[in-house]
Amino acid sequence: MGCFFSKKSKRKSPEKEERAPTTTSAETASTGNAVPLGNNSEEAPKQYSWDKREKVDPKDYMLTGLKDVTVGRLPGKLNGQQFVIQECENCNIYVFDHSATITIDDCVNCRIVLGPVKGSVFFRDCKDIKCVVACQQFRTRDCKKMEVFLCCATQPIIESSTGMKFGCFQYYYPELAFHFKDAGLSIFNNNWSNIHDFTPVSGETNWSLMPEDSPVLDFVPAPDPESDFKSVRVSADPARSIVPLTKGGRYKDSEESCLFVFFAGEYTTANARKLIDEATAKGFVLIQTKEVSMRPEDVKRVFQRDADDLTEWITKGPVIALEMNGDGVVEACKNIASEVFSGTKLFVSDNKNTSSQDVDNFFNFADMQMGL
Amino acid sequence: SGEVPGLLSILRRLKQAPEQEVRLLLLGLDNAGKTTVLKQLAAEDISHITPTQGFNIKSVQSAGFKLNVWDIGGQRKIRPYWRNYFENTDVLIYVIDSSDRKRFEETSLELAELLEEETLATVPLLIFANKQDLMTAAPASELAESLRLHTIRDRMWQVQACSALTAEGIQDGMTWVCRNIKFRKKP
Repeated sequence: MGCFFSKKSKRKSPEKEERAPTTTSAETASTGNAVPLGNNSEEAPKQYSWDKREKVDPKDYMLTGLKDVTVGRLPGKLNGQQFVIQECENCNIYVFDHSATITIDDCVNCRIVLGPVKGSVFFRDCKDIKCVVACQQFRTRDCKKMEVFLCCATQPIIESSTGMKFGCFQYYYPELAFHFKDAGLSIFNNNWSNIHDFTPVSGETNWSLMPEDSPVLDFVPAPDPESDFKSVRVSADPARSIVPLTKGGRYKDSEESCLFVFFAGEYTTANARKLIDEATAKGFVLIQTKEVSMRPEDVKRVFQRDADDLTEWITKGPVIALEMNGDGVVEACKNIASEVFSGTKLFVSDNKNTSSQDVDNFFNFADMQMGL
Repeated sequence: SGEVPGLLSILRRLKQAPEQEVRLLLLGLDNAGKTTVLKQLAAEDISHITPTQGFNIKSVQSAGFKLNVWDIGGQRKIRPYWRNYFENTDVLIYVIDSSDRKRFEETSLELAELLEEETLATVPLLIFANKQDLMTAAPASELAESLRLHTIRDRMWQVQACSALTAEGIQDGMTWVCRNIKFRKKP
């Protein structure tokens, strides 16, 4: 963990020892000779990377007070920086890039697309918002009537908000897959349907799930062909969504589920997508997905098998797990495994009597792993 | 990458006070970065952090005494529960999102209320002016002014600019913490 106390840091300025708390005036750190920001500091102030970097105008990272317009950022124009949206009304806002964090304040009647956000997305005091969002954390406070097509790596939270509706992220534009990588987000870690409400009201629900097959472009239209964003070839076709569509917390049609796990390799993501395509083409439903690292000691508990090969495979990188659902899904998945994926390192449930247990074992493990 | 001392090195420093249980309390508005600070202190992965619903705690024990770091959820609705964690706090670490200008007043009010609390009287205060990596972040000096910290007279205090994400500034903050821990006598 590194050396905590260097010789340099032990140097004290004699007149400052044993002094009772006094006031200290704060000057700007950029002068280099600034008084340390405290009332008993013993060393000269340090210069950090943010003191040395080029000063930028915060306004370049903000959209403020706009009305009836189409605005946002084209791919490559935000490049992982922070973005702030405030006091906008009746706007179509497209952030077609990855960002560090985004706050949206006091907006009314807007349609918003937020490309992958590495940190948090925080809506405050907003009303009548329809949006497509991908982020690590999703938060709202004092919001009303929002429809959110969401990909969120952790449990979304709402506070003092009502009329909140959620659906699975469903979007494509050519750079989107790269933006997910740039933001450090996995397309397989999406907790869009299990919302935590900090202010539940007895007898009412502040949030609900949108009907399946809600047409995204009816809520958040594609950019106007006359706008600056016409060059971005957007699609909300379910088959093209960068994030696989999951049923989430909705009622399962069948009691039979199957666990399918791909172990790390060159084509793991492509294989997972192929499995989803093959299984959904046969009428089965994707319930949930997870991309998570496993340790050797997790293998027996999760897979209930003493398999040496599994223990070796999990060391190569994170696994991608899928739960497929439908009558006959286990047989179908086993057939797909042998026909389409022979030679690929994978796990598939062996029979429909134990497959629900497989699913529970894996996803309970994943939930624990990904909590604190 | 920055070197973070971690909780164990804090313990090494505290060896001069055996049989102590040192308690650090992390407070601040929701989304300030408290849990990221906690995870950095414990040298753990910070790429997948959930909004805190209750609290998180990290405990380390070494050579006869314990260090506990408490990270309490900061949503408006659950701030009334903060007082359940005040007792026996040795240092208060208040975390601020320096880039969330819209909520400077709100965090200022919450901090002012904390400083009025009897149970936190004279407890040293470290303020992490967090998220300095972000473009709209206000410098620590600007925050110190708008929080009117120079009016604090009853305790030791320090503002430390940091980025919990990169760990820059965290070590410097914890250096101050170590030097200013009030050792409480065990009853």
